[in-house]
This record gives sequence, structure tokens and C-alpha cells, in this order.
Amino acid sequence: MALKTPEEFVQSLADLHLQIYLFGEKVDDYVNHPLIRPSINCMAMTYELAAMPEYEDLMLATSHLTGEKINRFTHIHQSAEDLAKKVKMQRLLGQKTGSCFQRCVGMDAVNALYSVTWETDQAKGTDYHERFKKYLRYLQEEDLVADGAMTDPKGDRSLPPHQQPDPDVYVHIVEKRDDGIVVRGAKAHQTGACNSHEIIVMPTIAMREGDEDFAVSFSCPANAEGVSYIYGRQSCDTRKLEETDLDVGNMRFGGQEALMVFDDVFVPWEHVYMCGEIEFSGALVERFAGFHRQSYGGCKVGVGDVLIGAAALAAEYNGVARASHIKDKIIEMTHLNETLFSCGLACSYEGVKMPAGNWQIDMLLANVCKQNITRFPYEIARLAEDIAGGLMVTMPSAQDLADEKIGPIVEKFLVGTCDTPVIDRMRVLRLIENLTLGAGAVGYRTESLHGAGSPQAQRIMIARQSNLNHKKELAKAIAEVGKPWEKSRVKKPTAVAG
Amino acid sequence: MADAGAEERRVKVVYCGGCNPHIDREAVAADLPQDDPDVPRGATVHVSGCLRACASDHQLVAEGDGRAGAGAEGASAGPERPPVIVVAGELVDGVPTPSSELAAAVTRKLKE
Repeated sequence: MALKTPEEFVQSLADLHLQIYLFGEKVDDYVNHPLIRPSINCMAMTYELAAMPEYEDLMLATSHLTGEKINRFTHIHQSAEDLAKKVKMQRLLGQKTGSCFQRCVGMDAVNALYSVTWETDQAKGTDYHERFKKYLRYLQEEDLVADGAMTDPKGDRSLPPHQQPDPDVYVHIVEKRDDGIVVRGAKAHQTGACNSHEIIVMPTIAMREGDEDFAVSFSCPANAEGVSYIYGRQSCDTRKLEETDLDVGNMRFGGQEALMVFDDVFVPWEHVYMCGEIEFSGALVERFAGFHRQSYGGCKVGVGDVLIGAAALAAEYNGVARASHIKDKIIEMTHLNETLFSCGLACSYEGVKMPAGNWQIDMLLANVCKQNITRFPYEIARLAEDIAGGLMVTMPSAQDLADEKIGPIVEKFLVGTCDTPVIDRMRVLRLIENLTLGAGAVGYRTESLHGAGSPQAQRIMIARQSNLNHKKELAKAIAEVGKPWEKSRVKKPTAVAG
Repeated sequence: MADAGAEERRVKVVYCGGCNPHIDREAVAADLPQDDPDVPRGATVHVSGCLRACASDHQLVAEGDGRAGAGAEGASAGPERPPVIVVAGELVDGVPTPSSELAAAVTRKLKE
């Protein structure tokens, strides 16, 4: 099977007839729905760029299973260079869409499961790895999008899964049959779920004794019987329903999150990759999170490139591009953005080859990467708003600009530098608005904070791997802690003659 | 990486550079069975201080090492291929091992 074209991807998505609900109604023609289509365009871009020779080095990889060229989003990393190319590919896609393009979660899920299934088999004598490799080959050969579904709604966070008043707040096994399992529950905040052909479910936390039914990982088609999606709202989302696209800011692209519901879904054994092995659930969570924290060192950087460019254009259109404080703010935004990229690359180049044969990022540096992501985009966004000026949030609408009577007034007073059309100035300001507080801010800001784990999750991992005892020993050695101190050798400083 | 005088020893030790040691690398090397006749001559132990595994070129299991449990891609290790063990922080060939038991775990593997 060849790589899919963007058109084939969109058609294949329509053919799934997913059960999607939005504003309390089932959406049948979801590929043409104005709220959903921008997110589909993002995903389609992962196919479009893969077909372009000038992006092939990043977008394609060679499958270690078949030796065939595949989309990198379905690839198991085979080297540190592969890990770095992943980050660069994500930056490229962030640049091309100015948005979350959603395909990373599946890539990070397959790479985490690859080593965890192998290690489970070594310890328990199971055959999860071979099952998983067969499934992976299917994803690669059909060039499919898989949603990596980890986050459960979690209910009362003080209680473990098996003590929840309603166990459905964690995806769990409700029945084991000769031919497979039946699962129930939900996964929250599912990025790109309605743009996926397949779902890969993983546990959301390290499971303990009593939680065996919740330690479950499996894959199923996105249109499996019993699976439905409730589409998540985004800031300013109904602007996409307006007749004009100017006020959206990013007309073609956008992110997507959904609540994914499993209502007694049957999964055959050949697609089950964890079933009660609580001792491996923590490793799966950590590895998926680690890969995803690396991802943000690419995708958010690409969106940051767009925002920095928009801020620089706004300054130009305002006639202040040469002001020293503007130049300095652009430098600061660039410095922060490239620092994030450095973290993404660093955890890649310090990656290791796992016993299963795949390559995994350095966990400490991946968590440092994501911790910075929880902060720097906010500062980049603040600086962009600073440069853009208040007009970004007080500007009249596209309808006003188009109005026969009011339009000329808007044009007269929204003029910037005389060679810049007012419409272009408005477009750039709307783009900044989109990324800093509109629909795009879902991906650029809040997703940067909570996606791949909230800040505290990274701090726990950083603490665990910080090697603090070594640092204390270094300090002791330099300060000569523990060395006998001879008081008698202490002399008062001699006055310098002068 | 540095070779700790392997020519006169039964087990060759290859250290990482030591910038971020989570374990006492020298202590692990000192406890290896250099005089044990059950350990094949020419065996190599890569000792990295942390999980980055710099001593073994970032591999948690040595390339081509085919002992049981030595990774998914190991080739068959015959008598002409002495064992190669990787210590990376508190991992021995990718298996979590407390720092106090690293040398003992390596010794067991060298005798397999």
C-alpha cells in the first residue's frame, strides 16, 4: 500500500462514519463541518508534506519491519538521528499550520508500546510484542493515523481506579472472553481523535494491586461499535461558523480535542497489548509521556515561529519595526523559542537504544523540555501581544470592514504604514489574537501547560532523576566539607600600603 | 570513554566520561571477577554512570550480544564471541538493578 495523498486521507476519514457529537447534535458530514475541517486540514498536511521531495528527509523514514518508505509518524525510532528528525518534522508542521497538527500522539504511543510490550514478554512470557508488531505493520502499510489515548477522566483524584464510586472514570475491562475483552470508560482531551483511523489505548497512571482491570492497553478502529466522540469547544470557535474567515485569524488550520467514550467495546485478543500487568503500566505511562514531552520541543517551536513572524509583521505594519525595544522583544521571543528547540534536540541526541531495539529519548531532558514549554510560550505570547498593541482585541469585525457605509471609516482609521493594506494589518492582528487567546491558544498556551502532563508531573520526574546526591558531593569537595579546620592558621588581612 | 588497563585483566572495562554518575563506577569495576576462571577471557563491561549509556555508544544492550535476555536484536554468541555487558546507571543490560547489586549482577551474566 502506497502512502496516502491528502485527498485519500480525507476520504478515508469520511468513510469511517464516526459517531461525533457537537453542540448536542450528531454530526454526519464531519469532514466538511466548519468547526472540524480546519483540524482535518492540519492532519492532511502530514500527508501533503510527505509527498513533497523537499520535505522527504524529515517526513519519511524507512520501516525497520518492512524496509519500505513510510510516513515518519508511523515509524519506530531507530537512532538518535531519527529522534532528532522527529522534532524537526514537528517544527516544520507547526510552521506550516500555525496549529497543533495532532498526529504526534499516535507516534508517541507506538514508540512507547514497542519497548514495553517487549519487556513485558521477557518478564511474563506473554506474546504482546509480536501482536503489536503485526499491528504496527498494518499502520505503516496503510499509512494510518492512530490516536494515542491515555488520559482518563479520573474522577476523585484521591482514590485509586478500583475505589472510584463510578469505575467508568478509568477505562477498564468489564469482561474477558475466549476471543477478547470488553472495555468501558472514557478518555479525555483526545487530540485529533476525530481525525484518526485507529485508537491506541494506554493506562493513565501507574496501577497498583487491585487495579488489574484498569491496567489495559489495546487498539481498535476509531469507528468500532460502542466508540463515540463529544467534540470539545475552543475559545472563539463559533467565529468559524461566520460567513467571513477574516476574524478567525487562522483560516485553514486548527486543533481538535474530544471526549472519547467506550461503551462496552469488544477488542479481540490480537489487539490487546496489556491486560492486568500492573507492574508495566508505570513504564508505559512514563515512556509515552517522555516521547510526548520531547514532541513539544518541536511542534510548539514551529507555532512559535509563526507567532514571532506575526509579531514582527505587526511591528512593520505599525511603523515601529526599527524601534530598539521592538527589536529586543523579537530577539527575546526568538531566544525563548530556540531554547525550547534546543531541549527537544538535546533529549533526542542523548537518547538510548533500548533492549527491544528501538531508540528512546533521555527522560530527564525530555521533562526539562516540557517544563520549559509550560512557561516560554506564555512569555512569547505576552511579548507578541505587547508588540501587536490593543487593537488586536478592540478591532472592528470583518462585517464592519465589508460594510458599504462603515467600511471606509474602518479603513481610514485602521491604517498603519501607508504601503500596507488595512486588510493585511487586520489579518496579522487576528492571527496573533488566534494564537494568544483565540482558538489557536488552546494548542499554543493551555496545551503547552497541560498536554503531555501538567507541570507538576514533570517536576516529579525531574526530582527523581536529578542525581542530587552527586551534586551535594561535588559541593562538598569544592567547599572542603569535612576537612579538619586549623584555627591557628587564620590570620587577619594585612593593610595594603597605599 | 577510557579503557581501564584491559590488556592484563580477564574483563575489559570501558568507562563513560563520568559527567553525571548516578552510581560509583569505579566500585562496580573493582568488584568484577578479574581472576575468576569461569569468566571467559576477553569479556567486556561498559560502565556508564547514568542511563545515557555513553560508554556503550548510547546502547543499553551491546550490539550483537546474543546471550539470553540480551535484547531483541542480539546475534548468536558462540565461544569465539566473549560476552559484552552494559551497565548504565542502575541498569544492567537494560534491567533495573540496585546500585549495590550491579557488580554481582554483571558477574552472574559473565558466567552465563
